[in-house]
Amino acid sequence: MGQCLRYQMHWEDLEEYQALTFLTRNEILCIHDTFLKLCPPGKYYKEATLTMDQVSSLPALRVNPFRDRICRVFSHKGVFSFEDVLGMASVFSEQACPSLKIEYAFRIYDFNENGFIDEEDLQKIILRLLNSDDMSEDMLMDLTNHVLSESDLDNDNMLSFSEFEHAMAKSPDFMNSFRIHFWGC
Amino acid sequence: MAQPLAFILDVPETPGDQGQDPSPYDESEVHDSFQQLIQEQSRCAAQEGLELQQREREATGSGQQTLWRPEGTQSTATLRILASMPSRTIGRSRGAIISQYYNRTVQLRRRSSRPLLGNFVRSARPSLRLYDLELDPMAREEEEKQSLLVKELQSLAVAQRDHMLRGMPLSLAEKRSLREKSRTLRGKWRGQPGSGGVCSCCGQLRYACVLALHSLGLALLSALQALTPWRYALKRIGGQFGSSVLSYFLFLKTLLAFNALLLLLLVAFITGPQVAFPPALLGPVPVCTGLELLTGAGCFTHTVMYYGHYSNATLNQPCGSPLDGSQCTPRAGGLPYNMPLAYLSTVGVSFFVTCITLVYSMAHSFGESYRVGSTSGIHAITVFCSWDYKVTQKRASRLQQDNIRTRLKELLAEWQLRQSPRSVCGTLRQAAVLGLVWLLCLGTALGCAVAVHVFSEFMIQSPEAAGQEAALLVLPLVVGLLNLGAPYLCRVLAALEPHDSPVLEVYVAICRNLILKLAILGTLCYHWLDHRVGVLQGQCWEDFVGQELYRFLVMDFVLMLLDTLFGELVWRIISEKKLKRRRKPEFDIARNVLELIYGQTLTWLGVLFSPLLPAVQIIKLLLVFYVKKTSLLANCQAPRRPWLASHMSTIFLTLLCFPAFLGAAVFLCYAVWQVKPSSTCGPFRTLDTMYEAGRVWVRHLETAGPRVSWLPWVHRYLVENTFFVFLVSALLLAVIYLNIQVVRGQRKVICLLKEQISNEGEDKIFLINKLHSIYERKEREERSRVGTTEEAVAPSALLTDEQDA
Repeated sequence: MGQCLRYQMHWEDLEEYQALTFLTRNEILCIHDTFLKLCPPGKYYKEATLTMDQVSSLPALRVNPFRDRICRVFSHKGVFSFEDVLGMASVFSEQACPSLKIEYAFRIYDFNENGFIDEEDLQKIILRLLNSDDMSEDMLMDLTNHVLSESDLDNDNMLSFSEFEHAMAKSPDFMNSFRIHFWGC
Repeated sequence: MAQPLAFILDVPETPGDQGQDPSPYDESEVHDSFQQLIQEQSRCAAQEGLELQQREREATGSGQQTLWRPEGTQSTATLRILASMPSRTIGRSRGAIISQYYNRTVQLRRRSSRPLLGNFVRSARPSLRLYDLELDPMAREEEEKQSLLVKELQSLAVAQRDHMLRGMPLSLAEKRSLREKSRTLRGKWRGQPGSGGVCSCCGQLRYACVLALHSLGLALLSALQALTPWRYALKRIGGQFGSSVLSYFLFLKTLLAFNALLLLLLVAFITGPQVAFPPALLGPVPVCTGLELLTGAGCFTHTVMYYGHYSNATLNQPCGSPLDGSQCTPRAGGLPYNMPLAYLSTVGVSFFVTCITLVYSMAHSFGESYRVGSTSGIHAITVFCSWDYKVTQKRASRLQQDNIRTRLKELLAEWQLRQSPRSVCGTLRQAAVLGLVWLLCLGTALGCAVAVHVFSEFMIQSPEAAGQEAALLVLPLVVGLLNLGAPYLCRVLAALEPHDSPVLEVYVAICRNLILKLAILGTLCYHWLDHRVGVLQGQCWEDFVGQELYRFLVMDFVLMLLDTLFGELVWRIISEKKLKRRRKPEFDIARNVLELIYGQTLTWLGVLFSPLLPAVQIIKLLLVFYVKKTSLLANCQAPRRPWLASHMSTIFLTLLCFPAFLGAAVFLCYAVWQVKPSSTCGPFRTLDTMYEAGRVWVRHLETAGPRVSWLPWVHRYLVENTFFVFLVSALLLAVIYLNIQVVRGQRKVICLLKEQISNEGEDKIFLINKLHSIYERKEREERSRVGTTEEAVAPSALLTDEQDA
């Protein structure tokens, strides 16, 4: 039931996606276009999936140093369905609320997925940011110690989610920089 | 609501632990075992733990407690407990998220009298979050938690429910299932297809109408978005150059909005009525040559563009009382329109509205970009927030990496510098050099102001320049060149300064540039309001000032074009072809923003004398946008200096408000209250000051009747009386003082809370160590018991063997 409004999306689905994500209708339709271009032809968009490599090579994520972590956090069982892509775009959109962004940022930055951002994670983050071995070992250790001494409030050498949230809430740049435009229109 | 916590520590025990050994929650044994532990620890600590702690203490560089992690022998029970710690499960498991949101909806429903910790959108403390569910003796399964959450969601309003679902960190498929489950029965019935023959026909027709309306709505939406042609351009700029360059273009858009608002008010209340009732023209109309676009004089002079054209009488006066000798041309059913009053009050109201809007947007931007205690934590912020995810180009991302590396190195260097104190001699020398450079820059600004003063005096005195129209352009040209050249000189002088903090360097450069521009503008304003008024007695000096400001605006635009052409395009060609460098010229954000602020100041200064000047500024800003965008995309690269994008919009708005708008307001007030308007043109030609128009009207009202008598009363006691102004200022100061004290108190509370968290962290480490040592001891006892039973079995086997034998 329901005629097709544009390409293959039903308008009830469009309404639902618009109610459950922070994206506008136009943006959802644009992402739908991009998704259809990438997925194998002939399949219904709700059943098609994209691999992590395909999503990593989207223009919005191509140069991001954390693209593998982003793909890992937002995919299910190693593949992206259309709803996974929408969920990812919603978290990175401009209208998303700070708590949602902070939650996913924590998951992205937790490289070893132990529920904390520890020294090893911090060092990996810094090396990814700089993308080179220009930083000497002791400078890396210095920086890690500075970050921990500033944000680690209960002195266990790791950042729990609450401490990360507290540090990000103090920084107004976080909301500004944690934004990606996925739609090409 | 505070109930005593029931701690039931449900520790999953290893299979060998069934009931034989004292369990940690058996109190008397706990005391004993802790005593034993302490004794054991004091014996063994010298060998194992102390070594380890010393090693770790050296590594962390502080004498705090550390987690005791001897190699290899981690007890599985300890690990299991550690893995289910509340702070570890937050942000990871679906169960924790669902229970967290269940608690939130429950609290929302109960509207607890105890204040919620923090905002609704921020998370609560861990111990309170899992208070209701996880510490219950009957721990519930995930499906039960989900059904509880669904029940809570059903009790919320639809909009609230959607808002909550949107903010949940779950996948979209799970959100859809939650939404589906929480839809009420009423909603379900709406979705069902209608039954019956006639009903189905109506239903289908209604459905088709709704569908058509939806597609029409979508088409309109996309058309509206296509009308804002800047969305795609801004997205491209953000993707290629990052947020800092984008903030310049967003500031340009803000200025456009301010000018559009100003223009709307002026056209609606001043220009419109004057165009509808044009006054009688005196003398022949001069012919239009092309020079008017630059000078603003010539055929533009006697139009609605300038002050002189506006009549000083009441427009559309009914023919009964020809008071001012104006022409008697009544329209049928038209209202009389008091032009002088309208002119004064419209300019006043538009300035007031601009002031309120500016202060509000500045406060809003400040509130978003500054936090209490945000100056600490700069390393964490740089590591986590400095990568701009918007950037999509490879070259721009490489530039960002370079920027971040430079910034991190600078931070480390600053910290090291702070650690090593400098000698008194060095500090004195640094202060002396700093003072000298500041003195030189201020001297430059003063020199430019004096030069402008001397030159403008010369232009008044020289008779041959007075005749030619093109000579009017010389002063704006000179001022524009000074504005362009002097900042370069200041930058050269600043190279002599010691570079401690590069961010501070940029702010100091902006400050100096601003002082220069203010000095020049101040000289010009003094020159216009004092000398020109004196020289042009008997002529229309307001027209002249309006035209001067128009010329300054146009010349500023022309020089900006030339600067973009030579500073960016030609420089890039030279550096690529001749010098063979790959680096493109940088886009200097500070200088460009100050140019925009300067142009806007000129507009505000000229609004009183030329009501259509905002229209000229709007056209100029549109052209500037396209020129700068094209030049940026073709010739420039992003600046190497790290700019905090969130602070920048606040700084730009503050600079726009305080020196620029305040100066223009002061100029306006002086012109309205103190200067005698010219007697041959304009709406105030018969009055002593422009403000008199308001007083005249109030006197009219006093004789008008009892119904409007409150207005003269308000005027006499609130506007003319200074006591009211003092009272309002005193109240404002009191409010500011209270706010400062509140912030100071909040800082103290933050310190105390940080201490408390650090204490709790130490407690946690202590307890983990103790737990670990308990399990270690159990395992050791287990191993030793197994060893002794084996030994007991072996001799008894020997005994039986012997007995048998």
